[in-house]
Amino acid sequence: MKELISKKGLYIIAAAVAVAVIAAVSVALSGGNAGFASLLSEPFFKPVKSAMTSLVDSLEHTYNYMYRFDEIEAENQRLKARVAQLEQEYREYTEISEENERLHNLLGFAERHEDMSMEPVTVISWTASNYSSSFTISKGSSSGIELYDPVVDEYGFLVGQVTSVTSTSSVVTTLIDTTTSLGALFYENGETGVAAGDFELFKSSRLKVSYITDMDSAVIGATVVTSGSGGVYPAGLVIGTVSGIAVSSSGLDPYAVVEPSTDLTGLSHVYVITDFAVSE
Amino acid sequence: MARNKHRTLVKALILAPYLILLYILQSTVFTRLTLMGEKPLLLPMAVAGIALFLGRVDGGVFGLFAGMLTDLSYNQATVQFTLLLTLMGIFLGILSDTVLVQGFPSFLVSSVLELLLISAFQALSLVVLRGAPLSVTAAVGLRQSVYSLIFAIPVYYVSRFLCRVMGPGKGF
Repeated sequence: MKELISKKGLYIIAAAVAVAVIAAVSVALSGGNAGFASLLSEPFFKPVKSAMTSLVDSLEHTYNYMYRFDEIEAENQRLKARVAQLEQEYREYTEISEENERLHNLLGFAERHEDMSMEPVTVISWTASNYSSSFTISKGSSSGIELYDPVVDEYGFLVGQVTSVTSTSSVVTTLIDTTTSLGALFYENGETGVAAGDFELFKSSRLKVSYITDMDSAVIGATVVTSGSGGVYPAGLVIGTVSGIAVSSSGLDPYAVVEPSTDLTGLSHVYVITDFAVSE
Repeated sequence: MARNKHRTLVKALILAPYLILLYILQSTVFTRLTLMGEKPLLLPMAVAGIALFLGRVDGGVFGLFAGMLTDLSYNQATVQFTLLLTLMGIFLGILSDTVLVQGFPSFLVSSVLELLLISAFQALSLVVLRGAPLSVTAAVGLRQSVYSLIFAIPVYYVSRFLCRVMGPGKGF
């Protein structure tokens, strides 16, 4: 120890001082950049340090995965819950948006027909029968719905008529059902006829207008509306448009084939007209 | 006596959910899931299955409730199918008690005959009462029967499974 301090120690200290002085001078001369030691060691240590850094990163990642798994899983659960919440909000937004659109459309119809009182209802289920077209709605007599009340969609297009009522639900028979029959007129020229469901047209979701006063008025594309005769349906509700002309099996009675304006396959909300001004 | 009551209760507890499930499927899911524009009839096939495995009494009782639910799914008064399916349940039960072998071929033949008979009844009543063209109503009935028969296998195996769960013996 004594020799180390006295001789080798002094050499070592001297070497250290020399290195320090050279380093200080080289840094001072290079304007504050890395010293010579760094410059000399960089080519050797850089790849080693890079490799080590990669290794450490990898180990840290593994460590985090192993020891922070619970934390990550909890975070994953939180994010999943958040996604579910956002999806729910999106669904609610979509429903509100759709309802808003429906009510907006209905408002336009209601503004044109201020004499009508309407009850909004939801379609619950359709008939299982292959020979008829009817569906059950969510409200009944306790909501003011009565037998034979007309039913329209959000655009005011005729859907059908209430044919059965309980206190909390009702059955609506659509306008293509073979039991349906109502007074109709051609909007463009006022010629009248009788719109009715037909067995042969039923499967293609169409109905016919027969007993037309002037067959020339039944041109393809003509609009057919309710005539209001009989007082069951208000006048002017759109039934559909003429899509063809045909003749009955007897060959004697021509009739117009009518495509309903309402989309019967896509109905989810309809409106029961509980009151309207009868115009005879 | 007490054992019979217990057995009746078990049958009711097992068959009621089956009836309700088929009713819900028939009146909600399959009213939207049409094939060739037609909707299938599931409940009448279940009547064939239950009558085949449990006999005339159970077949008739099951047919009564299945008929009522079918009428409800048709949005009509509980008359047409209530009577038809009760009679069919009893009739198929009698055949099962006497001549039919309990197996899928018997079930399939029973179901085909049952569905065709229902379709014929529907078609003819519309022809007679409402003047509908026979060609149109018969075609609808035929398509309805074909679509319904797609479900013969699941209805058969579920009916057989439920009847086996109840254990041996016939009669409510």
